[in-house]
Amino acid sequence: MKTAIQSRRRFMQQLAASGALLSLHYSPAGIAATSSSAAPSYRSFEDLYRLKWTWDRVAHGTHGTNCAGNCAFNVYVKNGIVWREEQQGIYGASGDAPDYGPRGCQKGLRHAKYMYGGQRVLYPMKSVGERGNGKWQRISWEQATTEIADKFLDLVVAHGPECISYGSGTQMALKRGAFCSLARFANITGVTVPEFLSGVGDLPSGVYLTLGQVHTGDTMAAVYKSRCVLVWMSNPAVTRIPDAHFFWDAKYNGTEVIAISPEFTPTAMHSSLWLNPKPGTDTALAMAMVHVILQEGLYKADYIKEQSDLPLLVRKDTKRLLRANELAQHDQSAASGDKFLVWDEATNAVAIAPGSGSGDGPPATLRLGALRPMLEGSWRIDGPDGDIEVTTVFELVKLRAAEHSPESASEITGVNPNLIRQVARKFATAEPAMIFSGYAACKWLHGDILQRSMLLLLSLTGNLGPEGGGLQIGNSAKTKTMAFAFDGIGTAFRGISGTTWDYDHGDMQALNRATYGDELAAEIDQHYQESIRKAWFPSHSQKGWKMGFFAGNGGANWRASGKQWRKHAFEKLETIVALVPDAGITSHYADYVLPIAHHYERADMMLQSRTPYVQVLDAAVPPLGESVDDWEANRRLAEAISRRASERGIGVIEDNVNGRRVQRDYKRCLDLFTMAGRIKSVKDVCQYIIDTTPGIPKVSFAELAARGAIRVDGSDKTTWDDQSTTYHAEIFASVRDKVPYQTLTGRQTFYIDHDWFLKFDEALPAHKQPLANKGYSMRMMMGHARHGIHSMWRDDSFLLSLQRGEPDIYINPDDAARRGVKDGDTVRVFNDSGEFYAMAHVSAGMQPSMLFMYHGWDPMMFRDRQNFGAVISTAGLIKPTSMAGGYGHIGYRAAEFSPNQTYKDFTCEFEKAANG
Amino acid sequence: MGKQVAMIIDLNKCIGCQTCTTACKSLWTDEPGQEHMLWNNVETKPGPGYPQNWQASGGGWENGRLKAGQLMSKESHGSECSVNHREVFFEGSEQRLQRKEKMTVGANWDEDSSSGAYPNNYHFYLPRLCNHCTKPACLEACPVRAIYKREQDGVVLIDQDKCQAMRLCNTACPYKKIYFNFVKRKSQKCVFCFPRLEKGQPPACASQCPGKLRFVGFLEDEDGPIHKLVYQWKVALPLHPEYGTEPNVFYVPPILPPTYDADGELSDEPRIPTEYLRSLFGKDVESALITLHFEMERRKDGKPSELMDLLIAHDWKSMFKIPDVRLT
Repeated sequence: MKTAIQSRRRFMQQLAASGALLSLHYSPAGIAATSSSAAPSYRSFEDLYRLKWTWDRVAHGTHGTNCAGNCAFNVYVKNGIVWREEQQGIYGASGDAPDYGPRGCQKGLRHAKYMYGGQRVLYPMKSVGERGNGKWQRISWEQATTEIADKFLDLVVAHGPECISYGSGTQMALKRGAFCSLARFANITGVTVPEFLSGVGDLPSGVYLTLGQVHTGDTMAAVYKSRCVLVWMSNPAVTRIPDAHFFWDAKYNGTEVIAISPEFTPTAMHSSLWLNPKPGTDTALAMAMVHVILQEGLYKADYIKEQSDLPLLVRKDTKRLLRANELAQHDQSAASGDKFLVWDEATNAVAIAPGSGSGDGPPATLRLGALRPMLEGSWRIDGPDGDIEVTTVFELVKLRAAEHSPESASEITGVNPNLIRQVARKFATAEPAMIFSGYAACKWLHGDILQRSMLLLLSLTGNLGPEGGGLQIGNSAKTKTMAFAFDGIGTAFRGISGTTWDYDHGDMQALNRATYGDELAAEIDQHYQESIRKAWFPSHSQKGWKMGFFAGNGGANWRASGKQWRKHAFEKLETIVALVPDAGITSHYADYVLPIAHHYERADMMLQSRTPYVQVLDAAVPPLGESVDDWEANRRLAEAISRRASERGIGVIEDNVNGRRVQRDYKRCLDLFTMAGRIKSVKDVCQYIIDTTPGIPKVSFAELAARGAIRVDGSDKTTWDDQSTTYHAEIFASVRDKVPYQTLTGRQTFYIDHDWFLKFDEALPAHKQPLANKGYSMRMMMGHARHGIHSMWRDDSFLLSLQRGEPDIYINPDDAARRGVKDGDTVRVFNDSGEFYAMAHVSAGMQPSMLFMYHGWDPMMFRDRQNFGAVISTAGLIKPTSMAGGYGHIGYRAAEFSPNQTYKDFTCEFEKAANG
Repeated sequence: MGKQVAMIIDLNKCIGCQTCTTACKSLWTDEPGQEHMLWNNVETKPGPGYPQNWQASGGGWENGRLKAGQLMSKESHGSECSVNHREVFFEGSEQRLQRKEKMTVGANWDEDSSSGAYPNNYHFYLPRLCNHCTKPACLEACPVRAIYKREQDGVVLIDQDKCQAMRLCNTACPYKKIYFNFVKRKSQKCVFCFPRLEKGQPPACASQCPGKLRFVGFLEDEDGPIHKLVYQWKVALPLHPEYGTEPNVFYVPPILPPTYDADGELSDEPRIPTEYLRSLFGKDVESALITLHFEMERRKDGKPSELMDLLIAHDWKSMFKIPDVRLT
């Protein structure tokens, strides 16, 4: 023990010394050099081991990353540094499901070491010489913030704040206090915030199109309540480590756990059944299951008549939904154009569909009352200009599904038709059945269509609503983040989808032309521009992009078409400021790097819907070097902006956000940021969140810190079905209380008769072939990594030793052999967009003609500093319907309906590297 | 109350996340000389494992005598090694960010390297630690009697004061779960977290397992999960019983999803060849698999099953039943 303690003491001394010497790092090698000297001289060697398991102090904490784990950790402190950590395992259960404990993963258990790793940024730094050359000058916080503030003010005076971005990677911004700080800073200053939900292809657009909301996820324990779970577009054995056991617990409890993925994933390994469609063909599989369910009468007619648009009448001539104002005799109210119709079996006549047209009259409800809408049939209806032939959406769905018979779907997917039938029957007869899906669908160009077909499966079988059913993607806490940002100021926030921001600034149209041809590129751009012209979607790109703040290391790492983006957008910025705890590609190419405190060095709090707990981060130790938490970093920036604005005599700047006039007085930046001194630290921000967020027990931050994690209200069941809980539960208002959906028809929307949806044959879901790069046949798939959360921990020395020490790419043995590639060889992966190098990892679990790579590897870890983004040529693929508007719920809604960044619709080739 | 602590690892729940490995590492083997040591590791099977090709290295017992074993090279373990963060990020090196030594062998090198042929390929994760054997070959092999088995819990320890670095235990262990510290010149191994046991806590690898797949208790405790799964239900089996050391770590054997026939319909052929599982867990594996299948089907039909309830482990803490093992 003495040896270890000594080494830690030495380490601390070294740290102090390195500060004096202006060193930018400390030396872990120093530990090795000094710690083996003192020979233990203890009476009993057993005591040596006993001593190793001791500590001075225990703090409560977690890792504020975007992994949805939210794991309560004890953080053990010895001699002023974090020694190790351990899961608290303090959790209870929801209903009769197994408990949530203990929660954690190898990354979390590695953090005490990683936080002292050589990648840590300890002091403010200014780039010396050419960007990216790794040469730095250590500067003071005052110098850094003053120089940044001056540049900031120069740009604001010349162009307004729009040309300055403040983006956050998901790594540090998921801490609630940290994100509130960023949001308030952005609201005050008017900088553009490229939103990362759609910006990384994580926005469940198909869910929004169908249900008018995106938050449909329950707790992870809901899995246990299901009788049949399709794990589809998700790999929870890798990405949900603390919760994966719920799937196997459910399997032991008799639930069919059916994994659907081209490759044999770690999730498939433990599932009851594995279906292996070809990449990008999942909609064909889903629609074939719809076909079986319709053909065999396995649907729940009462449910869909009440909840969905399937009984609505459609004109056979125009393919448009019949509106009440198209009838020969109709009321003249303006709202009648929003009233949709059904054929009532009871009266044998048309009737207004409950839930539609929320104009006047009694409060809208989905309740059918005496109405008996018909699902099947064709009728002639009296219109002003003669008869109108109509049928139902349900009839059109039948026709659409018939185009996806199990036999034809088998040709597309490679899955045996009888097996499709078996799974469809299993799914339809299980009560309840669930689709557990991650964010992977959102990354396909037509992933919205897949999600719409998944919801169709769930709706037909009455599985949207019951506990243990549903489409499980994600939920979001009703945290008062923006309320905090706006408090005392009002709304002056400039948010934009990261996808459109990149499209405008990264010259993605040129990439589209080069990759997918002039025709498609023109079609995308024409609709893109039309959408902005019609004010369906905003644009904040007129002033160019001149300065970027990047919180976390996301920026230059996770972009699709990374090479294009880096060359045409990132590298053209006049000033780049990175606020990071760890060095990475973004900070490496920055002009200023501001050191940010790591997970165990700061106070904050986490909320993730997968577990019903609020989780604290309490500072176990002071931040290393001169690093500070995000609140303090933004406060220092605000202080410098105020000071320099006063000194330079900068007056009020007139700004305009989406047509709203805003006056910005940068002299008042600090005063506004701290609410005139009321908010003194991030703990006060957390207290604000606790006090204002529904469903969180009203405790002091100190009490939360003492307890580690506290349970939120209304979490007795595995599902968020209570409106007063911390999480969104809108669907239950519709399913249980019959409140209409926030959609055009007030119902679950499977038929979208918007011009663009009709034009692109997307009024109903149908399989569309994924795009490919001409002349390339390998489809490269990616997913969240086991050994990292995005880029964090990807470069940890120990976790690297549990992999191959460098980025690897999984290849089927036949594909490898055909190209003379052996396991462990370096391969060059390429297409016309670019190339990157990685180690071949040959596995029979890979489907032929596919490559698979876990993501998050920093480009700095690759030859030429170029990661897989080089071949992902998809960043400009913005499907027109994802920018549709002027149609009820369809149109721009921040973090609800925005175009996703596409990541998957490309192909490539690989070969053995010449000098590999 | 019994004298032998034991562990059961349910391979149907193991997701290969290496949390156990990391929990052990940060508690016991983070000092110089221990870079190649993983007292607990998780390896993909089939595969050469850690250390590389340990299953072909001999050791253990044969006909009542120690069987000759091979000394594993340091290289066959792979090793943690530092990354050139400083050079690349702060000193202007144009190298790529990488380990200072290129890796060619690693404890988890073959992670998810599946065997067989797609789509009927197969692999699974096998966590391994010292088996704290009832007949430890290492103890028998040590010429200076540095290895002993504790009275109160059956934990096998190497007295670090007595060890003379002769490394005979390294070769004698057929599981190759004893490592040599080249800095301290001592053999070292898993201590079953005895300081934790003494405070009523399960070992770090078990208590930190987020997959809830490790049971810890005493073999002789008839009301505990270990006794029930090993002796009553007979679904938890030792690894390589033929090595003759009588391990006290047991495994619930893995069942993978069904295979496909030539037409892509489901086939009755198990995904993992039974012969392979027999080579790992002995002849009793077949009856264990039948019991597991039978009870899973029962539960699917809505019938009660004590075995399924045990394996589900509704209450995480119920997986650990550790009596007082402090010396009085």
